[in-house]
Amino acid sequence: MIFLSVEEIVKNYDGVGALNRISLQVRKGTVKGLMGPNGAGKSTLFHLISGMERPDSGRIRFKEREITGLRSHEISRLGVGRTFQTLQVWGNMTVVENVLTGMHTRIKGDLLSSGLYLPWIKKSEETAMKEAKEILERLGLFGRWKWFASQLSYGEQRRLEIARALAAKPELLLLDEPAAGLTYPEAKQLAETFSRLKESGFTLLLIEHHMGMVMEIADEVAVLNNGELLAEGPPDVVKNDPGVIEAYMIRK
Amino acid sequence: MVDQVHKEFRKRDLLYSGALWLLSLIIPDPQLHYRREYQLRRRDLFYLLTILLLPLIWNDAHFHHLMVLAGIHGILALGLTLFLGYAGQISLGHAAFFGIGSYTTAILTTRYDISSFLAFWASGLTASFFAYLIGRPILKLKGYFLALATLGFGEIFLVLVRESPHLTGGVIGIFDIPFFSIAGFIFDTYLRQYYLIWGVLIGLVLFSKNLIRSKMGRAFLAVAASEDGASAVGIDVNGIKLGVFVMGAAFAGLAGSLFASVMSTANPDIFSLNLSVLIVMMVILGGMGNLYGPIAGAVFLTWLIDGLSRYQEYSLPIYGVILILLLIFFPDGIGTRLRVRLIYLISYWGRKRRREKVEL
Amino acid sequence: MFVPARRSAFRHAGEVGEPIIKDYMDTWNIIPQLLISGITFGAIYALVGLGFVTIARASQIINFAQGEFVMLGGMVTFFLLKTIPLPYPLAALSAILIVVLIGFLLHLLVIYPLRKATLPILLMATLGASLFLSSSSALLFGTLPKALPPFSGSGPFEIGKVSVSPQSLWVLVATLLVLLSLYLLSHRTLLGKAMEASSTDALGADLSGISRHLMIFLAFGVSAGIGSIAGIFITPIFYVSYHSGTLIGLKGFIAAVLGGWGKHGGAILGGFVLGVTESLSVAFIPSGYKDAIAFIILLLILYLRPKGILGSPFIDSRRW
Repeated sequence: MIFLSVEEIVKNYDGVGALNRISLQVRKGTVKGLMGPNGAGKSTLFHLISGMERPDSGRIRFKEREITGLRSHEISRLGVGRTFQTLQVWGNMTVVENVLTGMHTRIKGDLLSSGLYLPWIKKSEETAMKEAKEILERLGLFGRWKWFASQLSYGEQRRLEIARALAAKPELLLLDEPAAGLTYPEAKQLAETFSRLKESGFTLLLIEHHMGMVMEIADEVAVLNNGELLAEGPPDVVKNDPGVIEAYMIRK
Repeated sequence: MVDQVHKEFRKRDLLYSGALWLLSLIIPDPQLHYRREYQLRRRDLFYLLTILLLPLIWNDAHFHHLMVLAGIHGILALGLTLFLGYAGQISLGHAAFFGIGSYTTAILTTRYDISSFLAFWASGLTASFFAYLIGRPILKLKGYFLALATLGFGEIFLVLVRESPHLTGGVIGIFDIPFFSIAGFIFDTYLRQYYLIWGVLIGLVLFSKNLIRSKMGRAFLAVAASEDGASAVGIDVNGIKLGVFVMGAAFAGLAGSLFASVMSTANPDIFSLNLSVLIVMMVILGGMGNLYGPIAGAVFLTWLIDGLSRYQEYSLPIYGVILILLLIFFPDGIGTRLRVRLIYLISYWGRKRRREKVEL
Repeated sequence: MFVPARRSAFRHAGEVGEPIIKDYMDTWNIIPQLLISGITFGAIYALVGLGFVTIARASQIINFAQGEFVMLGGMVTFFLLKTIPLPYPLAALSAILIVVLIGFLLHLLVIYPLRKATLPILLMATLGASLFLSSSSALLFGTLPKALPPFSGSGPFEIGKVSVSPQSLWVLVATLLVLLSLYLLSHRTLLGKAMEASSTDALGADLSGISRHLMIFLAFGVSAGIGSIAGIFITPIFYVSYHSGTLIGLKGFIAAVLGGWGKHGGAILGGFVLGVTESLSVAFIPSGYKDAIAFIILLLILYLRPKGILGSPFIDSRRW
């Protein structure tokens, strides 16, 4: 079953083409790796899928439903979670609050009833807290739950961002260079986390430069270059594609 | 010998920790967020008792009057701190919502003989209605431009008030607004007004406390820190901004209503840019992301202005200089900075004494 | 009683001056006259807007005390001219120097100590400085509105049915000269480039050896100079009193936003558009609403096109 499908997406910035008629499909329960040299348009594609920006033309469908032009929080509520290349954790909150905020849509409350702290708000907050701690435990951050997010190390902040995205219970998770800036053991740990997520049925779309990680966990790989789709297929095939090798050799 | 030194140390440490404890009782925590601000603590009881007993101990009409004003400013600052301190958006038009509240009460009670209790709620509703109308278009702006747009709204409000004398009494304003009364009980002395205002303020503080500890409070902080991050987890950023703007305006409207029915007058000079600036100052000096700080800031600034008024024409330049100095030396709030400094000083003295002893 | 009584900074706004309009009964007849006064106003707003733009091009700071420079320019000149009888050109020149000095001091005493502060704090600090400058000028020079003698000639001359005061032409010439020299400064000199660099990317500028704080310091001086020039040129036409700076400052800022934030040409265009619109509005709505016009224009432009008419290099179109 095709979960996410991107059809003929075009995006220009002030006349400079960032994406040119890109089409991609992600099937349910698989991990798709998205690769390409810097400036190939990978992050732009993520921005378009998650609704941070709008495509000039083309369509994006998620679970057979058109999501092109929806605002990013609406897309998120449909079940698309994401992390950012430049970290966007909230340093002004504690770790557990970051995760609780990730559950925003699943906790009851509005300005009035939250202000009065009615009984059902209290109940909902308490169950959410329990769940948040479970998520932190799963990502190995439980020991830090009372810390401010700004006090965490870079690798921990990366993991926190993933924890926050997971807290929203997304069906599709967009991960933008989750291993960037991590040390080798940290990246290794992260890869294990991803394989566990995959086993528990998440669908992942992953931007990554770590060849090893992509080859290890991705079922399928797509390579972008200069806003064009260069190659798509199983990792082994793509790895030996002459076009891909050329793109990486020249650019790096 | 060893025992003796040890004993002496223990006494001294007790002294320092006593000072620290006293400090923690009075001055709010700099890192207020998670565990601290949620539960009611001993400190809150201390605040509550102070508020209840202070006017009885210090039984002076001028003091009561000043604290009434401070309480009204406190409600304003509390509303703005949700918007500025938590959600990180700046507004220089808060005085306009205060004005809308005041005029709603003034007009309803003097023209239509509606009881001041009903007018109180109507003022909050009217202010939030206008906040909704104005907030929808302008809240997409950020930083300076948001400040400028809200400032513009405040000025337009003033012009409208002055130019529609049949409704608002124009430049002269509206007089003889009846005192606030509930079920026949009239709040006509400063002492009664004191308890009225601070009672409302305590209620609103509890409300805000609940708001901050729930998912809405977390959403405010998330919007302040990273809008992209917030929308990625499904927070409707514009909705949250609008909601907190409307909430702050409702607080201001309630404060305005109380002001009108306590001071018995409403005129456009009160609701100028100066008041908006003053409210923002209260929030900044009280510390961003803090509920008690802005109220303390409100009390402090009300006192400061009252104290300066005896210098007559020199008061304004002095006021300006004091504001700038406070901003330079306490950019993250007086309480926060003072607490950090004092704790550092006290522990430094402690360490120094100990070091000297050991070297001997 | 409630707030320090700088009561009516906005109430007497009209006092900045409405040029004397002859009593034409017919609305359509006064329009050319209004147009002329609108252009004069526009030139002033443009000059003030240029002051804002100069600072913005060096630092992204918005100095809400900009209007006070205008007021001080007029006030100090008046003081030097009347109290210590200096010749007019000398008085004007020394007034400019004094105001530039005040601009430098403003940076050294307020902006520089707050170099790491967040936006609301900077905003409040410049507002506090504005309060200080206006109230101390009331203390030093008195609260009465003041007017300087015109530069040349005495009576207005008539073109057709419209009377134009020579001073209005002086204002236009001043605007043009200031624009020209600012353009040359920012496009033809290394200093201008350095200022722009430190505005767009402060860290990058630091790393390439541009002292960011020096740039901001200089920008404050330049913008104070522009403000005082505006003040000297307009005081012969309009009465200037201690509290007229705030409103002029705000309108100048609105002009700069309207034309395109951060562009010299934008400030000029915005100034004229704002001045003319405001002036013409008098023909159609009660003059009490005149001050609201600028702010309504502001809300409309911020809502519809925050980049301004000419577009702005500082505002990211995607994010607005």
